[in-house]
Amino acid sequence: MKRLHSDLSLLFVLGFFTLFSNVCSDLVISKLDRQIDLSSQIVRFTTSLKVENNGAEAVSKVLLPYPESQAKNLAFLSVTITEGKGKTKTSSDRLYVDVSHPEGMPPSLTWYAVSLPKEVSKGGSLTLEVKAVFTHLLTPFPEKITQADAQLVAFQDSAHYLSPYAVKIQSLTVKLPEPKVESYTRLENTKFSGSEIKYGPYENIPPFSLPTIVVHFVSNKPFSVAQELVREIEISHWGNVQVTENYNLVHAGAELKGEFSRLDYQARPHVRGASALSSLVARLPARAHSIYYRDEIGNISTSNVYSDSAKTLLEIEPRYPMFGGWRTAFTIGYGLPLQDFLFKSEGKRFLDITFGCPMNDIVIENLIVKVVLPEGSNDISVVAPFSIKETRETKLSHLDIAGRPVIVLEKTNVVPEHNQNFQVYYRFSSFSLLREPLMLVFGFFLFFIACIAYVHADFTISKSSPSYIAKLQWDEVQTAIQQFQNIMNRVLVIHNKLEASLRDLSRTGDVQACKAARKTADAFLKELTKESKPLLSFLQSSPQALQITPKVDELVIKERELQEKLMLKHSMVVDSYEKKSGGRDIDNRVAAVQQKITLLRQEVDDLLEVIDEI
Amino acid sequence: MAPSAKPISSPVPDAWYPTLAVLLLAFGLVITASFFIYEATSSRKNRNLAKELTTGAVASVFLGFGSLFLLLSSGVYV
Repeated sequence: MKRLHSDLSLLFVLGFFTLFSNVCSDLVISKLDRQIDLSSQIVRFTTSLKVENNGAEAVSKVLLPYPESQAKNLAFLSVTITEGKGKTKTSSDRLYVDVSHPEGMPPSLTWYAVSLPKEVSKGGSLTLEVKAVFTHLLTPFPEKITQADAQLVAFQDSAHYLSPYAVKIQSLTVKLPEPKVESYTRLENTKFSGSEIKYGPYENIPPFSLPTIVVHFVSNKPFSVAQELVREIEISHWGNVQVTENYNLVHAGAELKGEFSRLDYQARPHVRGASALSSLVARLPARAHSIYYRDEIGNISTSNVYSDSAKTLLEIEPRYPMFGGWRTAFTIGYGLPLQDFLFKSEGKRFLDITFGCPMNDIVIENLIVKVVLPEGSNDISVVAPFSIKETRETKLSHLDIAGRPVIVLEKTNVVPEHNQNFQVYYRFSSFSLLREPLMLVFGFFLFFIACIAYVHADFTISKSSPSYIAKLQWDEVQTAIQQFQNIMNRVLVIHNKLEASLRDLSRTGDVQACKAARKTADAFLKELTKESKPLLSFLQSSPQALQITPKVDELVIKERELQEKLMLKHSMVVDSYEKKSGGRDIDNRVAAVQQKITLLRQEVDDLLEVIDEI
Repeated sequence: MAPSAKPISSPVPDAWYPTLAVLLLAFGLVITASFFIYEATSSRKNRNLAKELTTGAVASVFLGFGSLFLLLSSGVYV
């Protein structure tokens, strides 16, 4: 308890303070209402104060002092001007608050100066609402408990508002998590009802009057503190924002004394393990997908996902219930659709995403947010609603050359009030999007180039060995055969064309066109025969081609025969057309030749196939 | 957030990724097969370098984009 009372020394400098109180005595707080919410480990002070200017000069700043013990744990401070009451209450934007060191004030207090948007003139007044959020203000007492004990914590503050200004009427409400109190300081006008303790109203309190109150109460809410949380937000313009969160969690409440019995815990978890941290709920954005929850040794299966159109709830349980002083480390990750978080305005792209962690009631001692932008981003700037330490680094990931630019944002003492959106602006050319596919294409192309080079290269060591020479000769034979096959195929194409011209003739009766087709076919065939001559003579002379030559020769003969028959048929048909014979007559005359042609064509095709197989 | 801000989405809808991956890869592999058949069957002198290079280039474009969409559809957002 000694530690708790250390702040009492403040009382002794009370007289000292009064000497300086005239410095700011122009302002008077006519009505002050203070609420302290102790329902979780995060202590929230909500103070609404009505400030009146009784001095001659207009005032543009209001001072808010906090004792050193609180100021060092102050995580979040917001001041707004409110107008009206109840349902008609409206709040202004957050006012600018600055740490100040007014002259003549004791250094044991930390002063925050609130800059008012409009000066308060003589006789004027306004209502301020101050929200201050503190961490580590609750002290577990006793510091060590057994598994069956309830967790008791102590809280200490002043019953009167610490202010350099005179306060006319003030009251204080302390809200507890459960209606169970071990002890609380009783002053005049103290009322305890339900889970609330009320002090006041007190009237006409001079500045710096500080009667200490101590509340010792039951709080079984687990004190989950993330000593370090690293959030990595990776943007891919192919449609995904990947968030990976590495937690290093500790239960910062009263430490567990003695042994832990899993059996007791399992049988009666609300009695034997009331203060244990058994599950956490992360509130992820809507349409989050590919959610995972794992640690160093693999997947942790105790998790559930509930989703609707507004949010995705991820309920996770650590591998073991966490008692005071116990710690765990795990990772959760999820993908988010790009179009919900990435926007374009005035030529710049920007990411608009929440800063803090998605879990409620977690205090983060050291939060590191890394925003990994795609490779090729430049002109990067960060806009955040509060001051953050910012550094840069690069990260090498899939298909990167130079690495991706990473913005590292660091902040200590983060509470859920910091779950506000921040923006990262950057420039990115759409052509950079093609960087990865082009790299893949280039990679595959290199592979094909390598294959071509391998096939074309000659790796034989002994260029004079008989087997090598034989191979070379065989290659030549193969080349000749392939060229010959090529010619044969072209010849067959011309044959088909001739047939087609006959069909055209029977349809249109245009004899001239048919004759012209015959002429060109003749010319082509002659040329091809000429082309094939050197190949045939080479094949006949080559010893390697010994087994194939007879087939080739046979093919040449058959083809010639086929060609002759075809020409014969062609002439016959054309003749009959010129003589204007009937269709049936032509068919009868051609029938014999046609039969032969079909037979020969079949044989030629068979031979070509045989040669192809060699 | 500025009122003029427009959301940015992926150039190709996410839902198409698996289909695109299958189609592009299948076509790419067919061309690759024809490339290797050509390499293995045509004799040294009949080979046409331009033809080999164009077949390889076309195959690598299809395989490249196909494997990109395969990566994307399997959750590796490059």
